[in-house]
Amino acid sequence: MNPSDFSPRRYAKHVWGAVVLSAAVLVASWRSEVNFGDLAKASGKAATLVGLFFPPDWESFPKMIGPAFITVLIAAVATPIGTLCALAFGLASARNVSPPWLRLTTRSLMALERGIPEIILVLVLVAAFGIGPFTGVVALTIASIGMLGKLVGDAIEEIDTATVESVACVGATRGQLIRYAVLPQVMPSLLTNAMFRFEVNIRASVLLGAIGSGGIGYELMLSMNQLEYHKTTVAVVVSLLLVFLAERLSDAIRSHLLEGGGLS
Amino acid sequence: MNATLAVPYAQLPSVRFRRRVTVTLLSSAAIAGALVYMNADPFALVRDFHFVTNLVGQMLPPNLGLFWHKKSLLPSLIDTISMAFLATLAGAIIAFVLALLAARNTTPYRGARLVIRSLLAMERCTPEYLVLMVLLISVGIGPFAAMLTLLLRSIGMFGKLFADAIEHVDTGPLEATAVTGASRLQIIRYAVLPQVAPSIVANVFYAFDVNLRMAVALGVFGGGGIGFELNLARSVLRYRDMFACLLLVIVMINLMERVADAFRKRIFSLEAQLE
Repeated sequence: MNPSDFSPRRYAKHVWGAVVLSAAVLVASWRSEVNFGDLAKASGKAATLVGLFFPPDWESFPKMIGPAFITVLIAAVATPIGTLCALAFGLASARNVSPPWLRLTTRSLMALERGIPEIILVLVLVAAFGIGPFTGVVALTIASIGMLGKLVGDAIEEIDTATVESVACVGATRGQLIRYAVLPQVMPSLLTNAMFRFEVNIRASVLLGAIGSGGIGYELMLSMNQLEYHKTTVAVVVSLLLVFLAERLSDAIRSHLLEGGGLS
Repeated sequence: MNATLAVPYAQLPSVRFRRRVTVTLLSSAAIAGALVYMNADPFALVRDFHFVTNLVGQMLPPNLGLFWHKKSLLPSLIDTISMAFLATLAGAIIAFVLALLAARNTTPYRGARLVIRSLLAMERCTPEYLVLMVLLISVGIGPFAAMLTLLLRSIGMFGKLFADAIEHVDTGPLEATAVTGASRLQIIRYAVLPQVAPSIVANVFYAFDVNLRMAVALGVFGGGGIGFELNLARSVLRYRDMFACLLLVIVMINLMERVADAFRKRIFSLEAQLE
């Protein structure tokens, strides 16, 4: 370690960065009302509150199974429908399949969609369709299209052109080209992404329930609002179980797909 | 297979085709069954589409004058960005310290590692909604509660990622630094940190993106910021105001993505200079 390590010049170039960063932190803490005095008081309150969650009211467990099933169904219906729509959107947004105007339209639509958090999407959809699982299905389908559509579109643009050309050479129509040259190349990545999306959708489905799509999220919110914290604990345990199982399932299917099996 | 078939085998649908048809039919039936079970009517999408057009009619034109009339709108945007920014930054710093305590090659005490790792795992498992509700009750409604929720979330997410990154560093520089008689802190500063910094920076920027969206969402549940304004406009049925807020959210998220990208490029070029 030579003396120049501590020369001011060595650190001078970081001064502006540090000043800007601290200014940003100050402004941000002022705007988000950071208050450490509150925090000390609040942690006591939070501890008391968490204490109220125990012991869990296990007798309400059977009543949670129906809502949990709804939560799973919302994700399980939205994911395949969303994947199918995403395939169409992906084809429409790939340079080597679709004309430029279609590509631009679908790409910007999907980018717009990805900019909207799912919760906000549900809020808008609740205004149109009312409260219920169907709103959740529509919201998650739209959200799945935004994410998967872009991934599919990118995957299609990167496919091997040799296969496409050789299929085109034998006189295939555009539909046949897509069926025999494009789809086989993007299907594996689409399916693995769809499994990942299923996981995301389960988590989102729990949260969306609290706004009105029903399911375990609704039970969670309801029990908290009615101050039945013992029931809340059970709802939390059930939703944790759902997320955990969904993760396991999607992991298992993904590794099965990656090993090359099961695509019949 | 044998001669008793009425149709030659070659003209029968192949096994693969039949399997595909079965899978398609079964999955369609399953989806239809699920919709029936949920009392969800997919035709409602078509039949009730006038509700959507109605809503769109009520939302248009967006009340863009709101930006000037309503003084709390612009600050609420800054609130949302502030929450995400603070939570990401503080979360990364706290998580890095915890990660050092949770990584095998920087903390020799097995018990400490186990405690930190299980705390992090527990945090990751708890739904954000529950964390937010507990915090809303204890620190009161407002951006601080949402910020703390995002902070806890970031710590849980970062902690595991950083700890794994630290455990996978190349041991060569570590040993070389240790041989020169460096203290444990010096080893971390000169051998561990340079190796994990790129992945930390990349994760921090990704987390900011996630946290920003989450900050909007938490606002809906009472966490303040633009999400709160949007939900307020919706609950009093002022859909033109809601649409204005929605546009604001979209513009903000896209803008912050650009800003984050610019910063990321700058940081990576700085790192390249240091090499």
